[in-house]
Amino acid sequence: MTMGSAAPQDEIKGDMTPMIDVVFQLMIFFMCTIKFKTLEGKLTAYLPKDVGVNTTPPTAPLEKVDIVVKVLKEGTKLQPLRDDPWDPAVGGPYRYGPDRVLQFQVGSMVTPSAEELYARLKQLHTAQPERAATIDPKFKPFSTTYADLVLALNASVLAGFTDITLKGSSE
Amino acid sequence: MRLAKDKSDAPPEMDMTPMIDVVFQLIIFFMLITDMTQKELEELYLPKAKVAAADKPNPLEIRPIINVLADGTVWVKRELYYDPAKDDKFNRLKEYLARMAKQMPKKPIFPGSPLLVPDNPLLIRADQSTPAKYIQKVMELCGGAGIQIWKVELAAGTETPELPDAGQGGKS
Repeated sequence: MTMGSAAPQDEIKGDMTPMIDVVFQLMIFFMCTIKFKTLEGKLTAYLPKDVGVNTTPPTAPLEKVDIVVKVLKEGTKLQPLRDDPWDPAVGGPYRYGPDRVLQFQVGSMVTPSAEELYARLKQLHTAQPERAATIDPKFKPFSTTYADLVLALNASVLAGFTDITLKGSSE
Repeated sequence: MRLAKDKSDAPPEMDMTPMIDVVFQLIIFFMLITDMTQKELEELYLPKAKVAAADKPNPLEIRPIINVLADGTVWVKRELYYDPAKDDKFNRLKEYLARMAKQMPKKPIFPGSPLLVPDNPLLIRADQSTPAKYIQKVMELCGGAGIQIWKVELAAGTETPELPDAGQGGKS
């Protein structure tokens, strides 16, 4: 019996089509789902440790600088990134326009300006650098927003305060 | 003159190797730059702050991230934890914060005190128009028994060139 001799060796070529299909699918998936890392910042603050269930500290601290934030006029609601008016029928995020009026109070000083708030806080911090600050957002006559809170916190940090407490009691 | 005739009847084949190489390179690129940690961050319009420190989270640190939208809904890791329309007294959020607080390293509340409190911060991210009462509520929960997280970080954008005037809407 004669054994069949091997046929001439051809180069074996795999069908690449399914692999290319899968690879393209993967690429489209990644391109669609990709979200580039956004750079965010943070402002550090503290919640009161010396109230509620906790014990009082061993030494009485200096009196804190109390920053009261109020909204006197709510302002027009605008689109977040444009100056077009916000449509409540459409909904979604919004921001307040330039007609929004805030009021900051530190002791006897009352001002609508974050610049003046910063200047006053700077004075107080320079006089007693170890003093802490407290931010107290109010809800009347209009509700303060997260942006108002961040604005007051920003001015405090800029003035040099490092120990900033947020009042944690909603009215 | 006689032109040379192509003897092969087989259709011409393209060499796919360079294309596959490029496509694999692209896939590797996308896989590397896709940051899976971003899944905890809801899309929000953050207020901007001049002095906000760049947020470079330590992947080994336990730091809960709470997202509060303008409508008061609270989201954690893309899951709804509180909806003002279906007020559940913040039970789910309380449980989550208590669970996170339990996992955090503890430190004495004051030097020498036997009372220990969690030492890691909580990151609060909220839309610029989110009413502060929702932020306050989250803070109240932080001070509750069994949680007692006292360090908070407020997320903010970092591109404000000047301190904005409150009379100018407090926005930048």
